[in-house]
Amino acid sequence: MVYWGPKGKTNTAHQMKHIVKIMALLVAMSALWISLLQSSKIPESYTWLLPLYFIVSLGCYGLLMVGVGLMQFPTCPHEAVLLQQDIVEAKEYLKQNGVDVGSNP
Amino acid sequence: MELADRAVGLLLSVISLSIFTYYTFWVIILPFVDSDHFVHKYFLPQEYAILIPVYAGVGLICFLSVFIGYVMLKSKKKKA
Repeated sequence: MVYWGPKGKTNTAHQMKHIVKIMALLVAMSALWISLLQSSKIPESYTWLLPLYFIVSLGCYGLLMVGVGLMQFPTCPHEAVLLQQDIVEAKEYLKQNGVDVGSNP
Repeated sequence: MELADRAVGLLLSVISLSIFTYYTFWVIILPFVDSDHFVHKYFLPQEYAILIPVYAGVGLICFLSVFIGYVMLKSKKKKA
């Protein structure tokens, strides 16, 4: 089930570097946030609110993109009909040649 | 059916937009409004603005870990 090809070792190495990158990004962002707070450019009451607000708005943005993508998903009804015809033809052909095609559940 | 897809997509967008506007109003605009204004009635006290997303996030993470653990256990049982 698991294929440990010659890529096995480099895959884990890439995962390690990826996590290090993400942690570095997180540390940089928190350092920026704490420096902004210390130099009192932002009122103290916003310590927890603003990062949480950005996280919530990021989640909302993702949800919005999913919704918009769903609404704009292009369906091809013409191709769907042609595909059904192809399936029927293939089933008949295979039945003639003796392959066992189960019926649709 | 594409109509069901579009309905679900529309519902998702509406939910996300409403959550975004409500939260924006709550966190950013409300502190600058006088406490006598009537609009404060429609918003919970400000502490909840932190608690609710944190609880929702923690609940989501718990659910995800439980789900992943359940799937892993099931796949292990199938292999054995």
